[in-house]
Amino acid sequence: MNKLFKALISLALVAGLTACGSGDSGSSSGNGAAASGNVRNVAYLVNGNLGDKSFFDSAKSGLDELEAAGRITLNTIEMGGTDSDKPKWLSTLYEVSDSGEYDLIICGTYQMPDNLKEVAEAYPDQKYLIFDDDTYAGEDANVVNIVYKQNDLGYIVGTFAGSMTLDTSLDGINADKVIGFVGGYDSPVINDFMIGYITGAQSVDPDIKVDVRYTSDYVDTAKAKEYGASMINDSKCDIIWGVAGNAGNGAAEAILEAGNGWFIGVDSDQELTFSSDLAAITLTSGLKNVGNSLVWVFDEWDAGNEYFGQKVSLGIAEGGVGIVTDKNYDKYASDDTKALVEAAINNVNSGDVVVPSAFDANGNENAQTVRDSVRP
Amino acid sequence: MVTIFTTDFFFSIFRIATPILFATLAAVIGEKGGVSNIGLEGIMMISALFGSLTAYWTQSWFIGLLIALIVGCGVALLMGFFAFNLKTDIILTGTAVNMIGSGGTLFLVKVITQATEGKSLASTTSLITKSLQIPSWNIPLISSIPVLGKVISGHSILTYLAFLLVWLTWVLLYRTPLGLNIRSVGENPNAASSVGVSVLKIRYITIAITGVLAGFGGAYMSMYYAMGWSLDMVAGRGFIALAAQAMGAGEPLGSMFAALIFGFAQALGIKISAMGVDSNLVAPIPYIVTIISLVIFAVVQRNNEKKRHSAEALQK
Repeated sequence: MNKLFKALISLALVAGLTACGSGDSGSSSGNGAAASGNVRNVAYLVNGNLGDKSFFDSAKSGLDELEAAGRITLNTIEMGGTDSDKPKWLSTLYEVSDSGEYDLIICGTYQMPDNLKEVAEAYPDQKYLIFDDDTYAGEDANVVNIVYKQNDLGYIVGTFAGSMTLDTSLDGINADKVIGFVGGYDSPVINDFMIGYITGAQSVDPDIKVDVRYTSDYVDTAKAKEYGASMINDSKCDIIWGVAGNAGNGAAEAILEAGNGWFIGVDSDQELTFSSDLAAITLTSGLKNVGNSLVWVFDEWDAGNEYFGQKVSLGIAEGGVGIVTDKNYDKYASDDTKALVEAAINNVNSGDVVVPSAFDANGNENAQTVRDSVRP
Repeated sequence: MVTIFTTDFFFSIFRIATPILFATLAAVIGEKGGVSNIGLEGIMMISALFGSLTAYWTQSWFIGLLIALIVGCGVALLMGFFAFNLKTDIILTGTAVNMIGSGGTLFLVKVITQATEGKSLASTTSLITKSLQIPSWNIPLISSIPVLGKVISGHSILTYLAFLLVWLTWVLLYRTPLGLNIRSVGENPNAASSVGVSVLKIRYITIAITGVLAGFGGAYMSMYYAMGWSLDMVAGRGFIALAAQAMGAGEPLGSMFAALIFGFAQALGIKISAMGVDSNLVAPIPYIVTIISLVIFAVVQRNNEKKRHSAEALQK
């Protein structure tokens, strides 16, 4: 037993040494090859676990794609997401940075910026990427912050919802040209989604009205459900987009209870994360394509464009945002709707359509004016 | 154009008032027994979590509801142990329970379900289907009455239970020996003790009842109102209940009307938002109603007291 144990330990040590060795050689070759745009060593730190069917999985799929193409070597470290795992996040960041093996260290979500800032300042020569967070954007020259253009996302979702509400042949779609939007707060972040949504819907039919409500809350699901019920009963909304964190799901529950109408999710594919009842009434979800955005960063990097020390907002053109097009979308959307959505994506891509943003100068005020003008 | 006073408006008043009413009844009984349970919010959160999780594990809403009540009772008894036996301040104990109700449930749900955070906050919504929710009841004859039927019929069975419990609470407090003991311990523990009432036992019974009632409120939140538990989902209803108890002068019937006023205020806010009023003006409506109601209540009470004092002075 003891001998076996020792043997295992020595085996582990040897394996560790060889791993270090290969890592070092990989790093040097990586640095050497960087100029010619070749293999980079990447560490992806997951502050949770893979299998979330959301951001972590999306980022992994993008990185897997890069690895399969031979453009990076990937070391994915799952740090765990429970409270007891949180101290590990910082120490793992330090460890990975200290090893000096990696050309780029990737992490994400709003939970990481404080940890990352500390470590990034301790290792100024190490490069870092953080997705879906801009807390300390631009403060460290070795960190790139990737964020997603909500207004572009809103535009696609709005085009889709606007087209769907005209398709009265579908169950649950009524004759009124009214769609709904449940937001968290009357704030620029939420209004950026909203103005895109309204612009998209009105591009389909200028008569479409949009009922916008704010829960003033991201946690009170029950309150959002009351708002959802009021939107269905008072304004005859048949499609509601929920952009209010957990509370937004209350709108989906209101639709389920009313028995008519459809829900649209946000950020990740909510058809995958909902239970079967709620998934059945979810037409699609507005997506932040973390994976695509990472591929875009490497494309740019290889082309000689580095964004370290900056915040990069990615929209439709960069593949940073999109819409779920399989499952219920495929099943319920008519060919006309699908064509419209595709055209909307192409128009934004080509620059024919510029979606207004709540972050433009006076953008939030304009968004509020537009919102009040399209009220049912 | 939106008309405010529709049937679904009145329907929603009852739906909104129900969880507040459960917690208000808990506060009423607690105050009568001299046990200031300000931990109702936390107990509701914890019950909401275990109710929905148990419903998922056992695939039975009924067992989920039972566990929610048992857990609510258990947490309340634990509070009692700290407050009565270990002599901690019951307000601080209640505060601790409220903090556990927020951070502790989040911790538990991550340990139990391995849910990771990603961008979205933790919830058990993904586990809960409609069949695991507490059913609603279409009352056979009443549901066919034109307007009234749409308002009264079709609520969760817990809503009907909540209003039944208003009456039962009154019966308990004023028509049973236990109620007499609860009130006497609340009024003057020394006097109660001198006639042989076990003050400790009565206090434990009182706080256990508050726990069960808060457990009903928690179960309503996660097993009917919303599908599953999510972080901070009770959102202050346990605190509003304390205000409702004060507004209702600590009596079951008065407190029921207070809870209904809150339901009315929130339902009104939602209808007003449908007319396009700024959300920043709509959001505080329930709280403004609270403050106004408390002021009215205080003035009325002061006048009543003045009258009583002068009546007493005349008798002397």
